[in-house]
Amino acid sequence: MALGDCWKQLSWIYYQYLLVTALYMLEPWERTVFNSLLVSVAAMAVYTGYVFMPQHIMAILHYFEVVQ
Amino acid sequence: MQQRATVHMRLRGSKRRRKSSHLSDFSRHRATPDSTNTGGSRSLTGNMATATANGGSITFINCKGLKDIKKNGYYNHREKNGPRTGVPSREHRREAFEQPPMYVAVMTYVGFALVTLFGYFRDFLRAVRLEKRHLAQEREEQKNFVPLYQDFENFYTRNLYMRVRDNWNRPLCSLPGPVFDLMERVSDDYNWTFRLTGRTIHNVINTGSYNYLGFAENNADSLKTVADKVQQYGVGICSTRQEVGNLSLHEDLEKLVASFLQVEASMVFGMGFATNSMNIPALVGKGCLILSDELNHTSLILGARLSAATIRVFKHNDMHSLEKMLREAICSGQPRTHRPWKKILIMVEGIYSMEGSVVRLPEIIALKKKYKAYLYLDEAHSIGAVGSSGRGVTELFSVNAADVDIMMGTFTKSFGGAGGYIAGKKELVDYLRSHSHSAIYATAMSPPVTEQVIRAMKCIMGKDGSTQGITRIHQLAENTRYFRARLKEMGFIIYGHDDSPVIPILLYMPGKVVAFAREMLERKVGVVVVGFPATPITEARARFCMSASHTRAMLDEVLHHLNEVGDNLCLKFSRRK
Repeated sequence: MALGDCWKQLSWIYYQYLLVTALYMLEPWERTVFNSLLVSVAAMAVYTGYVFMPQHIMAILHYFEVVQ
Repeated sequence: MQQRATVHMRLRGSKRRRKSSHLSDFSRHRATPDSTNTGGSRSLTGNMATATANGGSITFINCKGLKDIKKNGYYNHREKNGPRTGVPSREHRREAFEQPPMYVAVMTYVGFALVTLFGYFRDFLRAVRLEKRHLAQEREEQKNFVPLYQDFENFYTRNLYMRVRDNWNRPLCSLPGPVFDLMERVSDDYNWTFRLTGRTIHNVINTGSYNYLGFAENNADSLKTVADKVQQYGVGICSTRQEVGNLSLHEDLEKLVASFLQVEASMVFGMGFATNSMNIPALVGKGCLILSDELNHTSLILGARLSAATIRVFKHNDMHSLEKMLREAICSGQPRTHRPWKKILIMVEGIYSMEGSVVRLPEIIALKKKYKAYLYLDEAHSIGAVGSSGRGVTELFSVNAADVDIMMGTFTKSFGGAGGYIAGKKELVDYLRSHSHSAIYATAMSPPVTEQVIRAMKCIMGKDGSTQGITRIHQLAENTRYFRARLKEMGFIIYGHDDSPVIPILLYMPGKVVAFAREMLERKVGVVVVGFPATPITEARARFCMSASHTRAMLDEVLHHLNEVGDNLCLKFSRRK
């Protein structure tokens, strides 16, 4: 039952997302195209962050002369 | 006061362009930005407040000497039409145009940008023939000719309107009174074609018809006189007023309209739009100046353009802008030759149907008297709908009807008929009878429609012996007040004057506009939504028109559904307390 409520809440949030970005006016395949683009760009950003975060943190600490 | 009197005399002395007086007048105008416009308007509105400028902020001191800062939310920068006119007349403290939170405007633009990008993408697919083209095309043999169909001009129609056009042009199959029946239609190819399923949606509450006093009815008893006239005169006249089409019925209606509006004479025409567009060219011509409000209806704009007069547009309901234009026009005269203008005509509407705002009539009349201009008042939506006995904005502001030079109105809205009228002095109406395109070439008003308007007007005036007219007017006023108060309470942003029966609820985002219309139809409430290009691109709205035939129960039902849909779609943007 909690899962049902959770699903309803998530689908309401998805509906709001569709309304606010005007995806509601587009056909389903266009929505898929846009969502895939958005998800892929976000995934790439997260992956890049994951790969380069240690290097960035070391560089910052080096700049502030916390580590050598 | 001294300085203003000298400038006044200089302007009246000569109409030749005087550079010095022009500039010095303007600098004086700018130095006291918040003083009252004219001595005349101050006395006319009877407003005792004076304003003092205090560095950057402006404080009002009313007649009791108390400070009036931040009254009715004027100075918290959330109101658009705030302190622009210096001292507002008491009537106009009841108008508000709230701005939405910033993210709403941003997301509206983002939404439009996204759909436009997809529009370009789909046009590309259509160009490379990956997708079928649905709109009209030229034949292959004519490809080298001058293009018939300009593809880009219809970009917006093809890519935005077509996607969602199931919300407009819905087919009705009953009288559009307080409730109507809809024919259900579906589309299999995303609104390029429709088919009717054969089912009817019954008793959809009608919030879109301009049925202000509820005269759109098919009760056999009330329509008895109309039926009699059809039997007597037939339905079609087959002639113009000037030839064989002038019925005694038309003369009766004209006398009735003149007595209703308390003017000398009036003339009626068969079509409301044509009343404006065909009569303005008869009144003004080349060498005249038309000062028209920003938000005037297309019929007024068309009439103004057809007349070949110079048109200047002043900001909506902004008296500073209007006065500045009047002074500039009188000082500089016509462009290039600097001859004085033959006529200056100020064109305004009583109620602006997209905003629900009401014209500032006392101020405009004061300005017109001071600068000797003429006033054309289009009361299409306000006649019958505002005023304590339904006589329009002149009654609402207690202004003498003889002060308005040309009063125009339509019978489509409050009277349940069709057509329009122009009323004013007898010389004006006699001139129009022989010089107006509409009077000479257009077919006269049909007898049943004329009789319907006569019966409706008699009912409003009380001449049919019952109090039904005044009951309807009171019911409309009460419905308007109740609906507006409840909407504000719920948290929607609504525009317009408190007494105007046209209530736009701002929806802003294109996706929400469409979802709103569909969800309200599912709940059996028929609403009219309007977007670009009838409104500014960021201000899409749903427009509710109150009717005297709506019962309190119907309004409560509509409000209940509005509450639900407002919560589902997150439409309650108002930040007022």
